[in-house]
Amino acid sequence: MDLGLRDKRAIITGATKGIGRQILELLIAEGCNVATCSRSIEAVEACIEKASTRKAQVFGDVCDIRDQEEYAAWIDKMVEQMDGVDIFIPNVSAGGGMDSEKNWWKNFEADVLGTVRGVEAVIPHMKENGGGAITMIGTTASLETFAGPQAYNALKASLYTYSKQLGQFHGADGIRCNIVSPGPIEFPGGSWDMIRDTIPKFYEKTLRDHPTGRLGKPQEVAKAVVFLSSPAASWCNGSNLVVDGGFTKGVHF
Amino acid sequence: MARREYKPVARVSEAVPGGTPVEHTPPPDDLGYDLIPKSRYTSEDYMRLEWERLWTKVWLLAGFAQDLEEPGDYICTEIGRESVIVVRQDDGGVKAFFNVCMHRGNRVVAEGIDNAETFKCSYHGWEYGRDGRFVNLPNGELFPQGKPCRGLVELPCAEWNSLVFFSLDKDVMSFEDYIADIAGHFEPYKFDRMVITRDATAEWACNWKASVDAFNETYHVAATHPQLLWYLNEMDVQIDCYERHSRYLVPFGVTSPRIQRAPEIPPPLKFMMTEAGLDPASYEGPVDGIRDIVQKHIRATAEAEGRDYSALNDDQLTDDYNYLVFPNLTFNTHADHLMLFRHRPHPTDPNRMFFDAWTIEYIVDEEALPTRRPRHKIIKDGDRSMGMVIDQDGGNLPKVQAGMNSAAYQGLWLGDLEVRIRHFHKVMDDYLAD
Repeated sequence: MDLGLRDKRAIITGATKGIGRQILELLIAEGCNVATCSRSIEAVEACIEKASTRKAQVFGDVCDIRDQEEYAAWIDKMVEQMDGVDIFIPNVSAGGGMDSEKNWWKNFEADVLGTVRGVEAVIPHMKENGGGAITMIGTTASLETFAGPQAYNALKASLYTYSKQLGQFHGADGIRCNIVSPGPIEFPGGSWDMIRDTIPKFYEKTLRDHPTGRLGKPQEVAKAVVFLSSPAASWCNGSNLVVDGGFTKGVHF
Repeated sequence: MARREYKPVARVSEAVPGGTPVEHTPPPDDLGYDLIPKSRYTSEDYMRLEWERLWTKVWLLAGFAQDLEEPGDYICTEIGRESVIVVRQDDGGVKAFFNVCMHRGNRVVAEGIDNAETFKCSYHGWEYGRDGRFVNLPNGELFPQGKPCRGLVELPCAEWNSLVFFSLDKDVMSFEDYIADIAGHFEPYKFDRMVITRDATAEWACNWKASVDAFNETYHVAATHPQLLWYLNEMDVQIDCYERHSRYLVPFGVTSPRIQRAPEIPPPLKFMMTEAGLDPASYEGPVDGIRDIVQKHIRATAEAEGRDYSALNDDQLTDDYNYLVFPNLTFNTHADHLMLFRHRPHPTDPNRMFFDAWTIEYIVDEEALPTRRPRHKIIKDGDRSMGMVIDQDGGNLPKVQAGMNSAAYQGLWLGDLEVRIRHFHKVMDDYLAD
């Protein structure tokens, strides 16, 4: 199956490491040019140098997506450099935490506004293009109770409603919007790597709750994100794709 | 293991006035790399030699002075085949005695902490005063030969930093000489202002030295305590060896060089920040900057919170200054608490030992003070947790001892991060030599 990604142009925030990096590399492997950002210029430069291939190019610049003006300027610059944008994946998250009210502000700023502001900036370009695809990153922690009551779970939840409505609202412009719900994903240097060492009982319980007895891999999330973002998923709009190896118990009617 | 480049942890370069010395005292350079024979851990002959030349010659910990507040308060503690009573005197001093009735050899009191007007033997009622002298010998007329002695047999005794020590050797060197090269190291922590919050003893199926060893090197942290890699730097430790004691200074509040990159502030560092009064969610800096801001924050807020850390340097506000006070005491000293471990040999079996763990804490909030001293808990075969880290060590040790007894095993093959173990064996050699 051809995903139809060759020579497309994707913008993904914060993809120099982790799951985002896997999405970026997979898009590049499919021949899609990708623009990304990081708060560290060294990380962006290293990513451009390492992940670019003869088939597709990585673009990027330093950007703190929490700064509205900086974020908007970065998107404009990336659109200009790639001469348009077909795919947008708002990937930056402030992560979990229930030790301070500050977490609510941080998740609102990074997870919610980081998505909303990006979406609003790319939509005019996509309309101009005649279409595009937005793929948001949700979490199974929004779908079912998980870990503890916290801003990450609750504010990520707002993206489900937002993404569904975007798909309806902009469907006529050829813009699709979907969301992926990854379960716990483990990789060296990731949160679950740290949880395995520092909160082993919670880690082991989470592992036991997975039918396959393991956590997900970044590549497994990346494949779902790349599919939904690709022209191959042309009839997927407003969908929520749960990528959790069967971890959650809720039935998706 | 492949060596990784990493930035050394910043350390204070000099002691505060009257503070714990910080200068590096490297191990003697003639310790070599020879194998340490396993028989030291497994043989009954070596155990006998230890009894004759080590345990009966050194200074040993009895307990905490806070358990000996009033005249008549006593601690009865056991070491190997001996039992010792340490008791507060009417004049405020402290004396130690063998816990043996000189009549027929009965133990006069049971192991533990209590108060007594006199010590009365349960067998025939021979009664001794707090000063050890006979108070009453029932039906003295039955002993025309007189009394066997003046009372309980007295032992040397010393108080130091709110800890009480004794020696089974009446001719032992003075306590001051014994600890001379670490004199002044603990005083800045002011153990006298800390209260006991834990008192537990576990019986472990290993030699007592295997237990000492487990706290004398940080090389095992990665495999045994992976959670600590997100909390301390086990590779960048300052190892100092003295005449018979040793220490290492372990930076807390940082991640190990084995951690490539923390995805966010690791939970134990979040906990450290919260304990210090900082909000981890508001911290925007790098993870390796946390130790520094925690130190500065504790320093800045201590006075307002009624904490006096004036005699401690900044590193002591976060780090573990870990001492071995020879032969069998592990001190994990921190600004607001001390975790003290005592590794005691089994009376007869080189494959068993007793692990005593105390915690004392500096609690300034009156309402947070424990209402009473915690009871002494006895833990057998890990039937109760002693906390994650000790459980992890205690889980290893019986397997280590079993493996040491294997025909395949020759002895300890020690690396540079384990040099305190090598130094410890060198001191053991000096004691056990003819």
